[in-house]
Amino acid sequence: MDGESRNGFVGLVLVSHSAAIAEGLAELVAQVAGPSVRIVAAGGGPDGTFGTDGGRVLNALQEIAGPAGAVVLMDLGSSVLSVRAAFGELPKETIAQLRIADAPLVEGAIAAGVTASTGGSVDEVLAAAQEARTVAKL
Amino acid sequence: MPSSETERRARLPETVPLHARPAGEFVRAAAQFPAEISVAANGKRANAKSILEILALGAVGGTELVIAASGDRAAEAAEHLAGLVPQLA
Repeated sequence: MDGESRNGFVGLVLVSHSAAIAEGLAELVAQVAGPSVRIVAAGGGPDGTFGTDGGRVLNALQEIAGPAGAVVLMDLGSSVLSVRAAFGELPKETIAQLRIADAPLVEGAIAAGVTASTGGSVDEVLAAAQEARTVAKL
Repeated sequence: MPSSETERRARLPETVPLHARPAGEFVRAAAQFPAEISVAANGKRANAKSILEILALGAVGGTELVIAASGDRAAEAAEHLAGLVPQLA
């Protein structure tokens, strides 16, 4: 099952300054998107502080990378820098499987997760995440 | 007639607003079809394949949804989704 989902569905990496935000959001997205989408949370600083941990982000990207691809969402500031830095450590083949979403974290992750759960391609999942920039809530 | 347009109405269960989980289920069902599908409620219209647009409808339990589909397998899509709405939990 895990092997199947790894190959069949686009995965998500969630990067936040807060481990609780990243993990809580991963649970929320799993509720809405169902069990087939792999989600890796990479939140918080190296020793449980608020911040980002480049090593944790890099591990998350390596863990999620696969033929179906994955979309990375992050909150802001150093999360973005950590993702950029981690990309610098990855081989070209892995980078080709990944997309970075320029989107609000929560809304983008929900949209991306649901689109991934429909079997959407990595670029469709990216587009769904980025649609969160413009879709009104009210 | 691959480009026919079909409209169906369906009511959400009284106790089920179209919030995140049921909306996700609805979007997954809609995404199985190649047709262009919209959902209207409360004077708003949403792309049935966009969870953010569906959530923005703000449809509470008991709301009647108008599902309109056009293009490939439109009738089948509208029929399927109209059947799903009352079953959402």
